[in-house]
Amino acid sequence: MPERRRSATTAERLGRMLVIVPYLVQHPGTTLDEASALFGVEQARLRKDLDLLFMSGLPPYGPGDLIDVEVDEDGAVTIRMADHFSRPLRLTRQEALAVHVRATELLATPGLPEAPALERAIEKLTASLGGSAAIEAARVGDAPPLLDELRDAVEARRRIRIDYAAASSGERAWRTIEPEALFASAGHWYLPAWDVDADAERVYRADRVAGIESTDMTFEPRGLQGAGRPLYTRSESDVEVRLLLRPPARWVAEYYVTTDVVERDDGSVEATLPSRQLGWVARLMLRLGSDAQVLQPVSLLDEVRSLVRQTRAIYGS
Amino acid sequence: MDPLERLLNLVGLLLESDRPMTFEQIRETLDAYGGDNLESAKRKFERDKDILREYGVPLVMVDTDVWGVEQGYTIPREEYYLAEIAFSPDEITALYLAAQSGTEETAAEQGVRKLLYGSDGGVLLGSAGGPLAAGSDTRSDRVLAAADAADTHRRVGFGYRTSQGARSVRDVDAYGVVFRGGHWYLVGHDRERGEIRAFRLSRCTSELRDAGEGSVPPEGFRAADHVEAGPWVPRGDERAVVAFTPAAAVRAMASFSGAVTERVADDGRSVVSFPSADEAAVASLLLEYGPEAEVLEPEGLRDEIVRRLEAADA
Repeated sequence: MPERRRSATTAERLGRMLVIVPYLVQHPGTTLDEASALFGVEQARLRKDLDLLFMSGLPPYGPGDLIDVEVDEDGAVTIRMADHFSRPLRLTRQEALAVHVRATELLATPGLPEAPALERAIEKLTASLGGSAAIEAARVGDAPPLLDELRDAVEARRRIRIDYAAASSGERAWRTIEPEALFASAGHWYLPAWDVDADAERVYRADRVAGIESTDMTFEPRGLQGAGRPLYTRSESDVEVRLLLRPPARWVAEYYVTTDVVERDDGSVEATLPSRQLGWVARLMLRLGSDAQVLQPVSLLDEVRSLVRQTRAIYGS
Repeated sequence: MDPLERLLNLVGLLLESDRPMTFEQIRETLDAYGGDNLESAKRKFERDKDILREYGVPLVMVDTDVWGVEQGYTIPREEYYLAEIAFSPDEITALYLAAQSGTEETAAEQGVRKLLYGSDGGVLLGSAGGPLAAGSDTRSDRVLAAADAADTHRRVGFGYRTSQGARSVRDVDAYGVVFRGGHWYLVGHDRERGEIRAFRLSRCTSELRDAGEGSVPPEGFRAADHVEAGPWVPRGDERAVVAFTPAAAVRAMASFSGAVTERVADDGRSVVSFPSADEAAVASLLLEYGPEAEVLEPEGLRDEIVRRLEAADA
């Protein structure tokens, strides 16, 4: 139904205009560039829609009744005669809830510098729009001890050396990195950076950084992706680990990236866990004990067995 | 004519007009609904009304006279315009950052854009490179449905699978939603079990189905109180004392809430203490460190680890 599809985009464009026009009325001289970035709309599209606004106005369309839209050669926009569009449409209930939900996800992250401001903003929003008291954030854990120092390095684009304890390999070493972004996901802070020694992109977890040494070198960002990036990317060299997870260990299939999850009648699941290294999977198996079983590869079984022996030796048992 | 132009004119007209306007009057004023074909103009108007309502424009039909003979359309200004909310620059910046976080586009973005009109956009754009969080493990429409249900005290039905894999159908009076450790939970009164329970929304096996009116949460209710705390959350005074290799110590300090480095032993290991009430759970967590961790105290925890290692070696 082409008619329907067209009306959907018209609705979107209308929604956008009812929000952008009040902003432009309040901020004469805003450039198309700025407005397009702020409101997430293509510049050409915005220009076209503003031209339409120019043609609209209130009947009987006398010369003084038309909305006046002016875009100068620098792209600066001025809108006059649009009093009825000088304030935006209020938020729908869904929008207000969605803002609250998003803000709550951020607020649950320990160490967020914007948290106090965000809390105040949500309070104001709730008071004004009658938002929800039914949405809560539960902050768990503490902020990583060196979070502020890492944030400073990102902002100053400064090359640093970090004392880092990798969970996958179990190694702890000093690395020279160029940190490009810092973002939180599911309660942890991540640091996408260029590892100078490895000459490759790496994502570090801020709470595993045990020390920082500053250098006096700055760097040009390579545009590494920040928030929203997948935290695990599969690669060709991954080993396909197949596990049988009994009910108490089913959380593994939820917590890690798994594929080919097959449910068994007794409540167990079989799942494939692609992983770059086997070391951490062996340690995970030690933790799960009899709640899990390695189906493949066989080499992982050997690794688990040797890990058990080494650990027993520590305890002298 | 571009339909957007028609819609902008209609909104402007009804916002400016002091009295409700009948379709006939609208048709006389706006050329877009004019023409000879009344039926087609009406259909166009009906479609436009739907579009406006879809975007939350409060277009209503009211009587134009006390006898209710004739009806007209109006957009009440007090319902249309966003109330003045005075955000400070850091507050609006925080909201802007929040709306842009996450991995999928939601109504939050559109909502926050409406709030920008009183703020300096240049400042916002300058801050846009700042830190953001990347959402949760649950689709936002399901979170919104749960929040909506809790907010309006609705009763909801849904399929659920526990962490252990047991499946059931739940019948719950929604009381609140809480975000904890990267997961959204719906907390409410489970009618069948007769008590307050928490449900991780990512474990729902169906959408939430509205089942009518629910009930009001008890006095002083806090959803967060009902979401199970991990074994590493301090409860009671007992502390475990564990020697970690330097590499493992960094990870342990990050994982065990309330962990403190007591000393560095002669062999280079860090001796760390942390609250441990649930011995079985802490033993599991520590086994993941393999030979990089050794429990020094309490005796019971050490024995538990040794017992499990022996079982694994059998």
